[in-house]
Amino acid sequence: MKIATAYSQNNNTRDAVAEIRAQLKSEDIKLVVFFASSAYEPDAISHLMDEAFPGAEVLGCSTAGEIISGHMFKNALVAMAFNSQAIKSVKVQAMENLGSDSYDAFNSFEQHFGRPMSQLEPDRYVGIILIDGLSCKEELIIDRMGDLTNVNFIGGSAGDDLKFSATHVYANGKSFNNAAVLALIEPVDAFEFIKTQSFCPTDKTLLVTKANEFTREVLEFNHKPASQAYAEALNTTVEDASSHFMHNPVGLVFEGEPFVRSPQQIKGDSMVFYCSVMEGMELTVLESTDIIKDTCQAISAAQDRLGNISGIINFNCILRTLEMEQKGLTTAYGELFKDIPTIGFSTYGEQFIGHINQTATMLVFK
Amino acid sequence: MAGKIKQMIDTIITQRSKGNTMLIGVVKTKLMLKGIDPSKFTAQSPDDSAIIAKLEAISKELA
Repeated sequence: MKIATAYSQNNNTRDAVAEIRAQLKSEDIKLVVFFASSAYEPDAISHLMDEAFPGAEVLGCSTAGEIISGHMFKNALVAMAFNSQAIKSVKVQAMENLGSDSYDAFNSFEQHFGRPMSQLEPDRYVGIILIDGLSCKEELIIDRMGDLTNVNFIGGSAGDDLKFSATHVYANGKSFNNAAVLALIEPVDAFEFIKTQSFCPTDKTLLVTKANEFTREVLEFNHKPASQAYAEALNTTVEDASSHFMHNPVGLVFEGEPFVRSPQQIKGDSMVFYCSVMEGMELTVLESTDIIKDTCQAISAAQDRLGNISGIINFNCILRTLEMEQKGLTTAYGELFKDIPTIGFSTYGEQFIGHINQTATMLVFK
Repeated sequence: MAGKIKQMIDTIITQRSKGNTMLIGVVKTKLMLKGIDPSKFTAQSPDDSAIIAKLEAISKELA
């Protein structure tokens, strides 16, 4: 199999990695992507995973839950290996000191692939980004990367099992904070993207009239205190407004497609979000729909476009996971992927073109 | 005066996408995430100097 998956629920880091290695037997592995519960010690898991796959590029991150074909796990280690039938060429690079406007990773990619990033074809190359989920720098990084190349980078923000203490990204044996790790891949066959969020737009809009985009805080919608305007749009009180966050986030809607911005908390008259919003943006109040049905349709559509799917990497928002846990749907969600080699994790944010919330972004390989 | 914003948006999209249909959608999405919704502007939209300045900055970023 050109793309293979493995998992371990062993809580001993060394034993878990050994179990992963035993399941991924190919000698021809070019890339390993892994997602590890924060229960695994960061330096050890990165070092041991790298050591287990000599000659392969290895990247990963800490999580808030793991996904493997057929299952959603907690406190586990999941991995996906790609051999030379799946990947022609790949380079993994860390991007340290987020916010310093250092894009040395791109220089490394240009040296490896022998061409400027600005000239690489987006239908031939694809990028993966895993980023510190507590850095609050995702918008800045993904936006600037999108300026510098037409190659799409898709990924997620690392988690730490809802402790909100420290998240980690891993590349070639090292563990990083305040960093992103990137993989630039030239797959052998076609690939596709899935961006699915289970929301439909309502007819209620909120114009951002005062915001601090660096603190992800909206002070005013429609020239009113943000919390008041949001509550009015939902015909509820400010006191009750936060109970609507999960089912009624807001979003930028482009050609019918929402780019979700999820409220995190009400802070006085303001609202703090999980991603930044800018003054002048018109946000639409969204209404939740059926995650299982919507995800199933999105996978089917990708399957129709590609003919067949040999692997999926799923970056699934932790808020979607929490909603599914509340509704008892995690088994049904895992089963959506039971016949497809899949790994994924519950993220603190998702990236595709920009930084988004309450979404699953997936990289799908033919 | 009117129409400059629409003209600038069209220029950015054309230059960056080079006619690639898939990229046209991506560039429009990038603009929206940067705070400029291309669908909101027509040839009749007034020349708002703040939005023009923002588009000039975006144009440099995307160059």
